[in-house]
Amino acid sequence: MTTLLKEPKAKKLGLKERYAHLTRGLGWETTYQPMSKVFPFADYEGIKIHDWDAWEDPFRLTMDAYWKYQAEKERKLYAVIDSFAQNNGQMNITDARYINAIKIFLTGVSPLEYMAHRGYAQVGRHFVGAGPRVACQMQAIDELRHAQTQIHTISHYNKFFDGLHDSRHMHDRVWYLSVPKSFFDDAASAGPFEFLTAISFSFEYVLTNLLFVPFMSGAAFNGDMATVTFGFSAQSDESRHMTLGLEIIKFMLEQDEGNVPIVQKWIDKWFWRGYRLLTIVAMMMDYMLPKRVMSWAEAWEMYFEEAGGALFKDLARYGIREPKYADVARKEKGRLSHEAWCTFYNYTHAAAFHTWVPKEEELAWLSEKYPDTFDKLYRPRFEYWQKQQEAGKRFYNNSLPQLCTVCQVPMLFTEPDDPTKICFRRAEHKGETYHFCSDGCCDIFKDEPEKYIQSWLPVHQIFQGNCGGATIPDVLAWYHLNNGVDNLDYQGSPDQQLWDAWMKDRGKAGG
Amino acid sequence: MGYQLTIEPLGETIEVAEGQTLLDACLRNGIYLPYQCNHGLCGTCKVAVLDGDVDHAASSPFALMDFEREEGRTLACCARPLSDVIIEADVEEDPDAEHHPVQDVTATVEAMDDLTPDIKAVWLRVPGDGLPFQAGQYVNLHLPGLEEPRAFSIASAPSDPTLLELQVRRVPGGVGTAYIHERLAVGDRLDLSGPLGRFHVHKSQTAPMLFLAGGSGLSSPKSMVLDLLSGGWTGPITLIHGVRMTHDVYDGDLLRELARRHSNFTYIPATCQGNEGDGWEGDRGFVHEVAERHFNGNFKGMKAYLCGPPVMIDACVRSLMKGRLFEKDIHMESFVTKADSATVTKSPLYKRI
Repeated sequence: MTTLLKEPKAKKLGLKERYAHLTRGLGWETTYQPMSKVFPFADYEGIKIHDWDAWEDPFRLTMDAYWKYQAEKERKLYAVIDSFAQNNGQMNITDARYINAIKIFLTGVSPLEYMAHRGYAQVGRHFVGAGPRVACQMQAIDELRHAQTQIHTISHYNKFFDGLHDSRHMHDRVWYLSVPKSFFDDAASAGPFEFLTAISFSFEYVLTNLLFVPFMSGAAFNGDMATVTFGFSAQSDESRHMTLGLEIIKFMLEQDEGNVPIVQKWIDKWFWRGYRLLTIVAMMMDYMLPKRVMSWAEAWEMYFEEAGGALFKDLARYGIREPKYADVARKEKGRLSHEAWCTFYNYTHAAAFHTWVPKEEELAWLSEKYPDTFDKLYRPRFEYWQKQQEAGKRFYNNSLPQLCTVCQVPMLFTEPDDPTKICFRRAEHKGETYHFCSDGCCDIFKDEPEKYIQSWLPVHQIFQGNCGGATIPDVLAWYHLNNGVDNLDYQGSPDQQLWDAWMKDRGKAGG
Repeated sequence: MGYQLTIEPLGETIEVAEGQTLLDACLRNGIYLPYQCNHGLCGTCKVAVLDGDVDHAASSPFALMDFEREEGRTLACCARPLSDVIIEADVEEDPDAEHHPVQDVTATVEAMDDLTPDIKAVWLRVPGDGLPFQAGQYVNLHLPGLEEPRAFSIASAPSDPTLLELQVRRVPGGVGTAYIHERLAVGDRLDLSGPLGRFHVHKSQTAPMLFLAGGSGLSSPKSMVLDLLSGGWTGPITLIHGVRMTHDVYDGDLLRELARRHSNFTYIPATCQGNEGDGWEGDRGFVHEVAERHFNGNFKGMKAYLCGPPVMIDACVRSLMKGRLFEKDIHMESFVTKADSATVTKSPLYKRI
């Protein structure tokens, strides 16, 4: 059977033409000042653009439509957050240990949303072409929205759980939070093209699934609807963000042959910076979700090796190869999360979240997911620590770790080809020695030493007397961290006591 | 039972199978819609439903909000038609695309000819006004005893829509092409539907045209070149036809004659498997190598049309991009089959190439 289709009415303009009519003339051609004075950052990175009009605006959204969409998203989101609060949604999560993953996300990543807002506002100002400027300005507002929605979640969980009471203050001081902070500061203090390569391409496009999928699926698996909702709400903006990431790369590569090696260098750098930042995600996935979604190694294989592999195969036509040291990331996938968790287990007395020895069934899951590494290299440590803890000797490492000058992660990673030996690299600059966790970080330093010698390294700062004092309690006070409450093992923490009390009440109510 | 889907502003109508998403149907018919996540979360593939009903399926309430549902928006990656549907999508209208209605006709085999040891020309007479098409399009041939139709590009010029030439290479192990090579005879009647596909030349642009053809991939370029030259197109046209050995070259006399009569047309046949003593006096090497040599590796400012096996296409795209010619100026026939899309993981970096 065939149905007669109605002839569509008079020929309409295509969306592209309509958009061109709505936005034309929004660019700025200066009249009494040279363009180079109004756009001083457009050239110095060495990227050559011959025709800004060749920018294909992949997401044709007018400001008017933008406000309407975002307003509706906000209404929806806050309705869910309100109902989560009114129904005491925090009591429906799997286990209060889960909240510690959220603490890291909310104190580590949420401030980056705000930094992204600032970064895109800046880049939106400094790009010459109207297309990318509009895209950056919209993203700047998106990021501000994401930061706000996440602060609402902080505010809710802060009513019940510890460690979330002063996240803005902590972000600028606490040792492990300097990892995400320095990542973004590095990007935001680069030029506009490098910023977009770093954040729009490497982070939002290449690595974002590794952050969001475990996070949002993890939250859903563990009953945290407040987080799931801000996640979905943010992800609906991601399409524009990811498209911007792909478009900027194509644009630079097509505009001038000379851009290719510069873009390659940035891809190498920001792949490695982003990957090191994801260490903390690896640890959350494998250790901090009471109900697990997939292992870090599985996520890495699916989202980087497969999806990223396809991308870099396609980019090869432009003369771009897979990021340098992707092979090292591949070698590390069976150990990354374990090395990180063991380190935090050691230093949790100085952190605003709790750690613990995994339960028996969790150890079994890790053995199953990491058959080549877990039983041989990591299980014995946990068994030893468990015994120590049972004997009342919960181990805390009272020394301060050495930090990598670039990624600022403690030197916890092992040699690419020897998981029993800590990886150390060093470089000299103007008579000083600097230390690195990997060849990737060492290369980044050598390319721009003047930038990284200015790094604010938390451990160095403590030794220099800039962090409130010489003892751990002094430093914790300076962090605004409540000693004995926010930190230490989950066993015996106020979080655990509160959760156990809730569960006991629920048991009673259920008869 | 499936439904018909019309995509505005292209005005193209395609079939959507039961349970198939709008996006899937478009992609499989060579119509690219912007998309990213492919599971209803990101909203990249949002389209307007102008007529008909769809099921939004698993679309996220954040990516497709209630007011948008009321305004007739849907996410193509999730939506399944509940009736015939007209959508408006963010696709560009192409001033050079002709829109010929798809017809189902019965044609008669008027002549057959062995072009090479494994390629046959089949000339089909279409009754009445024939089957008007644009050079570069293909038809689906329904062969007796085969459930799925087989697609073949039209090699003859569109000036005579009543006589279509198809060039059929015998695919080792292929049932359809074996039928054509072994059993099809002059006088046989065949059902066909077409014209299909969106592969065509961009006459409105004056850029020099480069046709890269491999083996029986000559069919579309031949039709296109015939059409351009008879229509008086005066810009430079270069056709490189790559084959394995001397005896695989075909339509050489015709193309050489055209090159003699039209100073703007250059014809370069090339063999890649011959050896010194085989009497071949033309170019040697793969299509992309010959093209690189001929243009000194610089393809800036051209329009390229590619037709041939996937390996050749891929090598040519690499050479063209190395020579600074990018996606918007590279055109090719794209048949995305279910098997292809299942085995190849593609990034959304490119839309068509």
